[in-house]
Amino acid sequence: MSASPILTVTGAVHAYGDKTVLQGVDLTLAPGEIYALLGPNGAGKTTLIKTICGRLRPDGGAIRLNGQDPARIASARAVLGLVPQEIALYAHLTVSENLAAFASLALMPRKTVPAAVERAMALTRTTDRAHVPVRHLSGGYQRRANIAAAIVHQPALLILDEPTVGVDIDARAALDTVIRDLRDLGVAVLLTTHDLEQAGGLADRVGFLREGRMALEGPPRALLADAFGARMEVMVQLAEAPNASGEGSLVAEGLSPSVHRPDLWTRLDVDGYAAAGRLDKALRKAGLTPREIRVREPSLQNLFSLVAERKLAA
Amino acid sequence: MIRLEMTLAMVKVMALELWRDRAALVMTFLLPPLVFLIFSSVFAGATGEDIQPKLAVADLAKTQTSGRVAAALLASSEIRAEAVAPATLEAVRARVKSGQADAGLVIRTDPAVPGRPFLIIADPGRAVAAPLAQARVQQALARAAPDAALRRSVDQLTPALGTLTATQSARIEAAAAALKARPPAVTGGDLFDREDLAGARKGGAVIAYYAAAVLILFALFSAMQGALGLMDERRSGVADRLLAGVAGMGPVVTGKFVFLVGQGVVQAIAIFATAQIVYGVAVLDHLALWLPTTLATAVCAAGLALGLVSVCRTREQAQMLSTFVILVLAAIGGSMVPRFLMPAWLQTVGWFTPHAWVIEAYQGVLWRDAGLSQVYKAWGVLSVAGLAGLALAQTLARLSRR
Repeated sequence: MSASPILTVTGAVHAYGDKTVLQGVDLTLAPGEIYALLGPNGAGKTTLIKTICGRLRPDGGAIRLNGQDPARIASARAVLGLVPQEIALYAHLTVSENLAAFASLALMPRKTVPAAVERAMALTRTTDRAHVPVRHLSGGYQRRANIAAAIVHQPALLILDEPTVGVDIDARAALDTVIRDLRDLGVAVLLTTHDLEQAGGLADRVGFLREGRMALEGPPRALLADAFGARMEVMVQLAEAPNASGEGSLVAEGLSPSVHRPDLWTRLDVDGYAAAGRLDKALRKAGLTPREIRVREPSLQNLFSLVAERKLAA
Repeated sequence: MIRLEMTLAMVKVMALELWRDRAALVMTFLLPPLVFLIFSSVFAGATGEDIQPKLAVADLAKTQTSGRVAAALLASSEIRAEAVAPATLEAVRARVKSGQADAGLVIRTDPAVPGRPFLIIADPGRAVAAPLAQARVQQALARAAPDAALRRSVDQLTPALGTLTATQSARIEAAAAALKARPPAVTGGDLFDREDLAGARKGGAVIAYYAAAVLILFALFSAMQGALGLMDERRSGVADRLLAGVAGMGPVVTGKFVFLVGQGVVQAIAIFATAQIVYGVAVLDHLALWLPTTLATAVCAAGLALGLVSVCRTREQAQMLSTFVILVLAAIGGSMVPRFLMPAWLQTVGWFTPHAWVIEAYQGVLWRDAGLSQVYKAWGVLSVAGLAGLALAQTLARLSRR
């Protein structure tokens, strides 16, 4: 991170009445970097985004976009492009009409608008749908047009709020490509998402926000290495959910239940493959029937769980 | 300059959104002239002279004179009279009560002899029919039985003049016989001459009234629909996107205002062009004052709509509030019922609605040939109301950054 940061958040504090939502958040983002902001609902992600966009003035600390306060200086927000979670476009207008409108509303001189529209469509691969009304586009194209409208004025910082909600795998892959292309062009990308797989695959750095504090931050691989070392995740899927006695056996083997799937249990082990063999025998001996035992590298999901359960501190 | 381009960008967005929404397009520009045509068709003929009430007639007297009066009524083109069968008082009452006739006439005694020969059966729900029927019966008596009318007049005068001499009686009889032989043309009485206002077309005042009433009704309604876009922008995230930008929502509100003013002007053109073409309302002759009146009306509708929508939190809330406000204002302000038919207190309350000012201004310009000094106040009230709504919408848009 050699270039000077486009975004600097220093000790940001914000409260709604008695409830303090941000409790001293620090965050920096350099050009050409993708940062995934993670955290459970209510962690303060939306409030942090609003302060970065200048919509909320923090009660303490400072937000700077290119060194300027976005809440006080409107022109500071010129470097910012926001992609809301919803399809924030005019449904009856075509893609190019939408982009031209948002370019004008971003104070772009009229002469520069057509070229900017073409560029944004090319970057998001929506040129072939330039003259199609947004309401007639597929979900994937709508998402890409949604991004195009945020980059048409060529912002240095792009904020994406849950960009992959409700999109299929192909559409998500296409979106990831667009985001990487933007990063390669030097755009700083701040991404909030619940899709940890996407965050792990895309982000140069991730930050876990918990109760208004940055609980953990860093490059995903480094964070995973720090948290898990050489351990692998061993995941056991049972033929059926275990009874109380079965659960006792699983816990005795060091396995933890999945939150939403009573038939899924996991543990971390340095020698994952050997552990898988041992577990299979032990569980069968205890009267349990593993349908599948998988061994894989720990993911951000594992890390996220540790952070959420306060088993890991910054 | 750049701010202007932002405003124009928003105007273009709204124009394209409307143009591509065919249902909204019809509602905005086709429905108002259509409703105006229906209203004006109903009310332009309701100036009194053209009303032809349906009259159920029963001749109980069955004298020569009563027969002539009944026949004259049945033949009259000014009233739709029909003889009831059987010719009884009850039959006439039944016709009126059932709504088959607007009023009833029973000729109880010979109209030529002293007394009250005629009984009018009136339905209070159609009160206007009774006096109209009464007037037509008097006309029929004067036309078909002028001799009987003369004799009734003489009978009324006799107590004051004293008993007539034989010579006088003979002259009256001769005059009656002459009248019976050659009834005079009856034009409406000897008391009145009539002068119609120069250049005034029958029903013109009513046409101007309803053109204005329908315009403000639909201008407000359409402006509300357009202003609801603010809610859609909040819901779809467009507002979030714009609020994260340099300009915020200010140019969006201004752009919507400019578009809605333009939309109101086009609606006015559609309605008043119809009034000019179909009814000959002299809009083009009064263009100099019509234009500012139209602009003030459109500014008022656009500003009020944006202000009203801005104070709401959800689209549903805005829709409910706007429907409520539009209907109540229209009812009080005279868009549904002519204001002169309202009680005095309600007419006074009406001045708190834009409708009353709009109607008054257009009627002044198009019907009373009012000058600037008579309409400037309406322009002022309408413009100030609209600009106040715009200011409220702008203020709330700024606050919505949070």
